[in-house]
Amino acid sequence: MDFLNAHLLSLILFFPTLAALGMLFLPKERLGLLRWYAFLTSLVPFVLSLYLWMNFDPNQPGFQFEERYVWYQAIHSTLHLGVDGLSLTMVLLTTLLTPLAILASFSITDRVKAYMMLFLFLETGMLGVFLALDLLIFFVFWEVGLVPMYFLISQWGSANRDYASLKFMIYTMGGSLGLLLSIQLLGVLFQTYDLLELYQRWNALTDGTLLGMSVSTVKAIAFWAFVIAFAIKVPVWPFHTWLPDAHTEAPTAGSMILAGVLLKLGAYGFLRLVLPLYPVEARAYAGALAFLATAAIVFGAFASYAQSDFKRLVAYSSVNHMGFVVLGIAAAALARGTADARIALNGAILQMFNHGLSAAGMFFLVGVIYERTHTRNLNDFGGLFPLVPIYGGILIFTSMASLGLPGLNGFISEFLVVRGAYPILTTYTVISMLGLLFTGAYILKGIRQVLHGPLNERWAHGEHRLTEINGREILVMAPLMVLILWIGVWPSWILDVINKAVMMLF
Amino acid sequence: MTTETILWLIPLPPLLAFFLIVLLTNRSRGLSHSVAIGAAFLSWLGSMVVFVRALGVHELGRHPFAQSVPWLPTADTWLKIGVYLDPLSAAVLFFVAWTILMIFIYSVGYHNYGQSEGDHDVKGLPPHGATVTDAHGHKHKVPSVEPMYSRFFAFISLFAFGMYLLVVSDNLLTLFVGWEIMGLCSYLLIGFWYGKPSARDAAIKAFMTTRIGDVFMLLGIAFLYSATGSLSFDVIFSEKVLHTLASVPTPILGLSAAGLISLLLFIGTVGKSAQWPLHVWLPDAMEGPTPVSAMIHAATMVSAGVYAVIRMFPLLHLDAGTMSIVAFIGAFTALFAATIAVAQNDIKRVLAYSTISQLGYMIAAAGIGAYVAAAFHLITHAFFKALLFLGSGSVIHGMEHGVLHTGEHIDPQNMFNMGGLRKKMPITFWTFLIGGFALAGFPVLTAGFWSKDEILADAFAHGHLGVFVTLAVAAFLTAFYTMRQITLTFLGEPRTKAAEHAQETPWTMTLPLIVLSIFAIGYGWVGIPEHFPLLGGLLPNWFHEFVGSTLSEVPEVAPFNWTPLLTSLLVSLGGLGLGWWVYRGVRTPAEDKFQIPLLKNKWYFDEAYQFLFVRPSYWFAEKVVYLVLDKGLIDGLLHAIGHSAAVIGTTLRTYIDKAIINETIGDGTAHVIKSTGSGLRPIQSGRLQQYMVASLLVFILITGLLYYFLVLA
Amino acid sequence: MIPLSWYLFLSAALFSVGVFGVLARRNAVAILLAIELMLNAVNINLVAFWRYLTPTQMSGQVFAIIVLAVAAAEVAVGLALVISVYRRRQTAVADELDLLKW
Repeated sequence: MDFLNAHLLSLILFFPTLAALGMLFLPKERLGLLRWYAFLTSLVPFVLSLYLWMNFDPNQPGFQFEERYVWYQAIHSTLHLGVDGLSLTMVLLTTLLTPLAILASFSITDRVKAYMMLFLFLETGMLGVFLALDLLIFFVFWEVGLVPMYFLISQWGSANRDYASLKFMIYTMGGSLGLLLSIQLLGVLFQTYDLLELYQRWNALTDGTLLGMSVSTVKAIAFWAFVIAFAIKVPVWPFHTWLPDAHTEAPTAGSMILAGVLLKLGAYGFLRLVLPLYPVEARAYAGALAFLATAAIVFGAFASYAQSDFKRLVAYSSVNHMGFVVLGIAAAALARGTADARIALNGAILQMFNHGLSAAGMFFLVGVIYERTHTRNLNDFGGLFPLVPIYGGILIFTSMASLGLPGLNGFISEFLVVRGAYPILTTYTVISMLGLLFTGAYILKGIRQVLHGPLNERWAHGEHRLTEINGREILVMAPLMVLILWIGVWPSWILDVINKAVMMLF
Repeated sequence: MTTETILWLIPLPPLLAFFLIVLLTNRSRGLSHSVAIGAAFLSWLGSMVVFVRALGVHELGRHPFAQSVPWLPTADTWLKIGVYLDPLSAAVLFFVAWTILMIFIYSVGYHNYGQSEGDHDVKGLPPHGATVTDAHGHKHKVPSVEPMYSRFFAFISLFAFGMYLLVVSDNLLTLFVGWEIMGLCSYLLIGFWYGKPSARDAAIKAFMTTRIGDVFMLLGIAFLYSATGSLSFDVIFSEKVLHTLASVPTPILGLSAAGLISLLLFIGTVGKSAQWPLHVWLPDAMEGPTPVSAMIHAATMVSAGVYAVIRMFPLLHLDAGTMSIVAFIGAFTALFAATIAVAQNDIKRVLAYSTISQLGYMIAAAGIGAYVAAAFHLITHAFFKALLFLGSGSVIHGMEHGVLHTGEHIDPQNMFNMGGLRKKMPITFWTFLIGGFALAGFPVLTAGFWSKDEILADAFAHGHLGVFVTLAVAAFLTAFYTMRQITLTFLGEPRTKAAEHAQETPWTMTLPLIVLSIFAIGYGWVGIPEHFPLLGGLLPNWFHEFVGSTLSEVPEVAPFNWTPLLTSLLVSLGGLGLGWWVYRGVRTPAEDKFQIPLLKNKWYFDEAYQFLFVRPSYWFAEKVVYLVLDKGLIDGLLHAIGHSAAVIGTTLRTYIDKAIINETIGDGTAHVIKSTGSGLRPIQSGRLQQYMVASLLVFILITGLLYYFLVLA
Repeated sequence: MIPLSWYLFLSAALFSVGVFGVLARRNAVAILLAIELMLNAVNINLVAFWRYLTPTQMSGQVFAIIVLAVAAAEVAVGLALVISVYRRRQTAVADELDLLKW
């Protein structure tokens, strides 16, 4: 137990990698074995993070379960891990979604071994970002997460996967160049990459000159370098166009993780790095950020409404929903420390978690129907409800969560963001309501085209006959649906942790 | 159990029923409706107990039943949710419980429980009828059971949960939660026969139109919450908070914060209660099964909008500007919808427009400050309108029976295919007559008279003459189209064979009609003004005192005046008489003088909205946002960046890599070596002895050189 | 006693005859024979130097005997090649065996 407590985070972090390496020794033609091995091993981090959740003390300030190992002595970088309420929720989300995504990919038959290994590597990459307390380690894991996703899209994706995977990879890498430079600036300046130390020393640095410029200019430039890297990942309008392509072309489980966790990395970057490291700049540029967030909400909803590809519709809905996260962050940047800002942040963080649940569910459901019909074109469906009543019910349920129906999780977080942002950024909040309205339009459009209306006879008979969602697929959806309902009805179990973290951090 | 505990429990049985039916009992029809009705009964029982206890409390308005628990952690504080029962919610709970229970029972018969499965019925379409063979070997076509029977009960259970939640809420947030759950259920239920494109589109229209109101309402809630730090009624309606809100100015329309908040919340009501200009969804919502129409349009959802306005009255009446907006919209809607109702031929559509019109009445009443009258009319209207909808469902059901029996291809909802049904369906006729007369405000006897009269009296007494005249004209039209409806449907002779073979509906449908018709008459008697001639004072004006005590100061009863009384007598009796006189002999729509295109086409609002909002927004979404902005501008820019990188790369390759490095340095070296080699090639003749000569010469040369350098030099 | 230089002259003359034979004769057998001449010229040198300069050591004689042995082996292989070539190409003229040219 002592060992477990002392090394809990590194166990969670590296267990998937070890499991992936262990997979090398399994025969590649035993598909069943490979799938179950991947699924069961991915449950281990989940169980561990549940243990972490139970043993986490939300009332204690600062980071918990900290671990520190020498990593790169020469440039003073250490493998420093730790969790607080903010990263804990994200870790839980990641370790929950990965087994579900693996379970969702049981229908993959092509190169299963490589596929599952990539997924496990991906999990390590994502967890690393959430757990890292060292800027360089943060960046390393940030990039590590990219590679498996690139291959997942480019190898197991659908028709236009080359374009999509390249766009995803180049765009994100391009965005993180500035981030790397800024991180190096900090690292060279202070001879450490340790986040806790940098919080203090970088913020203490207020005047003087640096690199031949005034400190404030340097900080502003570094701020934007950070912001652009994270904004691309979130994605904030107008950096969002990689997302519909990547989501649409990625395999189902890839989209689940992409929407469920990878987008959260960007938002997490804002919360973990941008707001604490650049409070002054964040306040100065919060208006711009709020503008972009509102644009994401409104234009994301409109663009989603315009789609005829089901998966693309869901992909654009992510732009719309993540816009609320950024709106909350912008509000918090502007009025840091006030109750309104904290409420907005509560909403933003909960929205990250909620969007992870509902978007992963939506992508999975799109995948379920795509696997059976081999089309995502909304005009090819129609009236499928009588054929697949259970699937239809689950789709409506998940869509409603995505729409933000009160009683389900999305409403709580969107309400908190709106409530928090309203007094701080009134105009932008009011405009974003237009996006909320059109959220309804595109969600209903999806349901209308797939489930309702006259039955498209093509799917009713013969070889194309649509089959009902099967037990495994229901098993993927069940935990998501339970959480969606649970958070919608009684959110305080998670919101309390978030709230306390927000109170301590901001 | 304490009253608070019962209040907590009231919404739960329908919710549990929803989950039970969806997850477990959906294959068994009997089990499903038993679960749903059982749950509705439990809630009804709870509501009655609570209601009776509420009656026993002295000054309930000052000491409401309330209990709350912390729900959302928000920075330093918690947002609390809880239950709350003051006179207003007690009165609302009373009619909600009754109507919901009646509608549940009615649904069993309406969906033909116990009949055989249809011949060609599919899920998602209304049942088409089944062929049965009787004892004599004759084949009959009879109505068939609804293929999605269990699902219907699941949905209306969830709906009931939403309404109960809304009524017992002690704060705006859970009120909004129930509000939206009802929105979802209305979407699901209007689109219950989702296989019909018209039903599907009506469902989306209903959801989207009400959502326009809802986002404003959400803004209002956010504003209110940030201004007061709470959403609980007892906090936001406290003197201090109201005073603060009334004194804070806002930049919009010169309204105070209180005015702006209540205006935003009111827009939510405009959507939910189908007030102009967001009224367009409600007539289309008639695509749903009739019990749904009764649920949505009478008992619950649209009433919820008015309930919210009355609930927010302490906030609303702080700002005169908002009040006049509310009064204007209410009065205008009342008249406007009544004019449309005159020209409709579908029996349910007439009722739909009449609902809009009556809701306008209540809103107008709230807008002129007569909030007790509004609540009174809300409740009487809920009873008689639920009665009318269920009655119309019964008529349609009887007509469908006739249609199946005769095999005629006619619309069983069109009133011009009916006629003479009073003999075929006596119970339906008499109850419908009661409902219709209550709607028309038939003097003294019906509940509608008392509530309508009170609104008119209030409008007159407080000097809102414009509102008074508008409402009086609307009341006249109401009486007129109600009598038109009764005349066309029940009086005269049958116009079609189907109408001749119409049949009275089973007891599950007629029993709710009878129960509701009792309320449609009797509920009016609890609110007879004290100074009414002859009758005043025989019964205490209980309603006014009870609901009036919701506010900290009980509003005055409007002093008695003959003008409004005579007006309401005149418009009601005149409208009824004229309706009968005009339509007594009409047999075809062509003989109907009121089929004015403008009214028939609902003032072209659908077309206008389609042209002004729906199509532009789709155009904007697809063409501007997606194609121009995303695909064109942003992706174009990205592609340009990508392309410019490719151009730089190509240039470097063409002019540096290829030209200098490859061709000059790389290929050049190879070329030199190659030409040297081929120049030397002839030396290798393959002749042994030439080689040897060469070797010898070289040997001699080297020896000579060595000799020269080593020895001589 | 005959001075050493005489042996050396003899040897040089014999070697020159050999060189001439190698360079000038057309027949491959004759070239081989000329090579033998050159080898024997070397042998004369080896033995003469041994006798005159280091009579106490056996290395000069040993070298000469190794050269004889090698010469015998060389002639055996060389003649076998010449015969093989002759069988295939019906000629033993060295100038015509120019397969290895460019």
